[in-house]
Amino acid sequence: MQVKEDNHKEAIKRNLKGFLVVLALFALGNIHQFFIAESLGFFIKNLLWHVLGLSIFFFLLFFTDYKKVSFRALWYAYWILNFVLFIMLIFGKRWLNLGFLSLQPSEFVKFILLWLISLYLSREPSEVIPPKKLLKIFGLIALPLILIMPADLDYAFIMGVMFFSWLLFIGIPKRIFILLLSGVLLFSFVFVPIAWQKLKPHQKGRIYGYLEPEKYAKTWGYQLNQSLIAIGSGGLTGQKFYKGWSTRLGYLPAKHTDLAFAVWAETWGLLGVSVFLALYGYLIYFGICVSQTTKDWFGKYLSLGVSLIFLWQLFFNLGGCSGLLPMTSIPLPFLSYGGSITILVYILLYLLFNVAIKKYFFK
Amino acid sequence: MKNRAFVIKDLSKVKQKILKSEFWEKRVFWAKILLFFILAVLWGRFFYLQVIKHSYYVKKAKSRSVVTYTIKAPRGNIITADGVVVATNKAVFNLYIDIEGVKDKEDEVLYKLSKLLEEDFGSLKERFYLLKKTSISRVLLKSDLRWDEVAKIMVRLYYLPGVSVEVESERYYPYGEAYFHLIGYVSKINREEYLKLKDKGYSVEDLIGRQGLEKVFEEELKGKNGYVEIERDAYGRLGRVIARTEPIAGNDLILTVDHNLQLTAYELLKVRRGAIVALSPSDGGILAMVSAPSVDPQKFITGFTKEEWQAISSAKQSPFLNKALKVYPPGSTYKVITALTALRKGIITSPGQSVFCPGYFNFGSRTFKCWEHRGHGTVGLIKAIAVSCDVYFYTLGTKLDVGDIASVSKEFGLGQKALGWPEEDAGLVPDRAWKRKRLKQDWFPGETVVLSIGQGYILTSPLQLAKLYMVIANGGYLYRPYIVKTIQKVDGTKIEFQPVLEKKIEMTPQHLEWIRQGLIEVVRSGTAKSAAVPGIMVAGKTGTAQVVSLSAKTKHLEHHAWFVSYAGKGTPEIVSTIFVEHGGSGGGVAAPLARELYKVFFKISTPPNQALEEEREEIPEVGENFTGEIANPLEEENAGERR
Repeated sequence: MQVKEDNHKEAIKRNLKGFLVVLALFALGNIHQFFIAESLGFFIKNLLWHVLGLSIFFFLLFFTDYKKVSFRALWYAYWILNFVLFIMLIFGKRWLNLGFLSLQPSEFVKFILLWLISLYLSREPSEVIPPKKLLKIFGLIALPLILIMPADLDYAFIMGVMFFSWLLFIGIPKRIFILLLSGVLLFSFVFVPIAWQKLKPHQKGRIYGYLEPEKYAKTWGYQLNQSLIAIGSGGLTGQKFYKGWSTRLGYLPAKHTDLAFAVWAETWGLLGVSVFLALYGYLIYFGICVSQTTKDWFGKYLSLGVSLIFLWQLFFNLGGCSGLLPMTSIPLPFLSYGGSITILVYILLYLLFNVAIKKYFFK
Repeated sequence: MKNRAFVIKDLSKVKQKILKSEFWEKRVFWAKILLFFILAVLWGRFFYLQVIKHSYYVKKAKSRSVVTYTIKAPRGNIITADGVVVATNKAVFNLYIDIEGVKDKEDEVLYKLSKLLEEDFGSLKERFYLLKKTSISRVLLKSDLRWDEVAKIMVRLYYLPGVSVEVESERYYPYGEAYFHLIGYVSKINREEYLKLKDKGYSVEDLIGRQGLEKVFEEELKGKNGYVEIERDAYGRLGRVIARTEPIAGNDLILTVDHNLQLTAYELLKVRRGAIVALSPSDGGILAMVSAPSVDPQKFITGFTKEEWQAISSAKQSPFLNKALKVYPPGSTYKVITALTALRKGIITSPGQSVFCPGYFNFGSRTFKCWEHRGHGTVGLIKAIAVSCDVYFYTLGTKLDVGDIASVSKEFGLGQKALGWPEEDAGLVPDRAWKRKRLKQDWFPGETVVLSIGQGYILTSPLQLAKLYMVIANGGYLYRPYIVKTIQKVDGTKIEFQPVLEKKIEMTPQHLEWIRQGLIEVVRSGTAKSAAVPGIMVAGKTGTAQVVSLSAKTKHLEHHAWFVSYAGKGTPEIVSTIFVEHGGSGGGVAAPLARELYKVFFKISTPPNQALEEEREEIPEVGENFTGEIANPLEEENAGERR
């Protein structure tokens, strides 16, 4: 393969903005965790995860090629992951405790599936996915989700939304789509009332808490109510560091993880919210543009998938903490604390930027 | 070939489409639309929460994480004329539990506190739950903590969510029972009062004056509460102070009361039931006012035990009443009014005009008896007062109209509140109109005869009688009795009260002189010889008011003993009423108390610390009972009002 000097320059020039946005979000997330953290150790732990993630990102970006991955490797990885999920299902756990660190294997389902399906579909790209293939893909997706579901219903559901919307963009035949849609509608009409009765009190409570956070402020709506107070009292410019009542006085549960954005909104107000949305939105926009400009289908599918994962992650987290959607325990990339999610974010970014860069070395 | 070519052509078309990826452009476009749509929705939601609903959530955040507590203003001090502080505040440490702050950790916190305070967990918990029902934001679990308890709690405050220890001022009455009726007491404001008074700056935990000066001068004594806003975290722990408004202390009251006299009066009275009032004849200032039995006002703050409370609230002696302001039949002390009326009406023109007292008096078909069954023989005005001859006054009664007696009574302040306090009774001066209105009956002439010796419907308070005799002592100046001489504000400014002269009563000097001579003779040779103090002019009138009860249980109650008098080295310097409820005879029981009081006032003896010795045996029993045949309509006391 011929590599020209110009291509290097071109690759850097075209992707610099996107890359700078990633660095900005990296800095922003760590500064944020620094101010929330009760102890320095907590912040350093988070920083280490990010640095590790960023190292993985750079290493893979420069020394690997997403296209050179063998189907076999992904296939084995897929099954190993399913096996781990199965074991965890038996023990009824969400976290894999390895002593020195605890991992959430369900996070890694995302990129393995994304990579695997992209590779599979890009072998014979077509305007719509043939029904047979689609069935296989549904099967591939369904297996890990079913394994996750008992322990983490929200996550399974959101991942379902992510992959379905992705496949929709790749091309689901109209007839199958209509069939699926009517099937889902029928299912929900028939099964939702039955399922409602079968739901456990805490699951019902979450719905109650979502619908009327102030009425259930002491029980089911506690998180959402406190989150709304935190966001609302942020105002236009926020309450600045160490001033916000919700954060400082411990009223926000899960302020490091799921509700990290509520803290952000309280601290920096609508101004901070706008800055974050602009940066994060640009990153997704950048991903969609990569999908648009990349020449090979593997890259196209992959980068769109990454963008959509980032988008849904944003939507469900922010929608949850602002009361737009029922609250789910889904982390927000960059702002939320967590090892697995941070590593995943950088792996996904690697896939995106790898696609973005490699197109300049293709011809 | 054709067929194949078509297939190839067709295939290449698809391939071209794929390579050109035109359809992909469309889908990417829709992906971008989805992205912008979601961003817009999220941004809109945050705009709504952070800009439109901002003030709503700020308010919610504040009400959740900031608690406002009242800093109670110290009540004003009450100080006697001679500078003794008789009601003040002392700093105490109070243990509060914030109901919202302790939330679901109640048991844990109460258990820890029970260990720290060395109290039984069960009883502490019971107390907390009882108090919780009546408290709104926080519970005062224990007041007046000891130093070591404060220290123990303060170092562990982090582990005791919702708990706080506050330095507060607590009402303190150093002389307790002696001043109970004069000063009154304070207790926690109740719900209705709070709702009515919260606009005036009262908080739910405030104390409010219940009786006496504490109630009458509530507005002066109260002061203005301060406030403190403290942050409270999600675990109920209290943190930084955000804002603080200092309280303004209440105003001090400086009284006309003489501390020694007050204590003496209480010492004299505490083994008995009744009241003592002393006035200054030169301006109407109250020098002493006690009532017995009494209550320790401190108990309203520290709390009564169950037994103590039952004893007080069920006591027949009704310790809560200020008997100096309650009304009773005045008995013979009223005779000066009859005499004054007769003098004014010209029925008596000289003290030489005499009446023969055979020991009884016939009026119509009835016979009224003199208290002295053997009779007083020939009596003139001065002797009649001195020996309290009933027949002399019956005779005046037949010649006087009830209307005249009533109008003179009212002129001298009877039948109306002297101080104007809420717990005070106005008393009763009967006349025709009153009887028609209340009893729907005409006035019988016999009732005027009974009235002329201070029996029947007439009711007066010890203070009213002191006021009446004050006018005789100072020659016609009817001052309104008052008790607060000065109101002293925190910044040092003072409001001085001037004596109020209600009216100057015109009396012929000669008439006044005759009455005064009679009153002097009472002590010199008459019914109150036991009141004499060497070197001091003492003049007064005894009274033994008959109490006739219609109920069998209380039929044999003793009579009320009265002695109203004034004393001075040259001019009168003090007027006093001694009233011993169901005490016996005025001369035997009340008059000796006056002597002891005057001895202290004129510094002849030091204030007694021990109960006064019984003087009864030395002095011959003097009973000046009215024993007329008509049934007295009074049941116990105050019966006239009840009817």
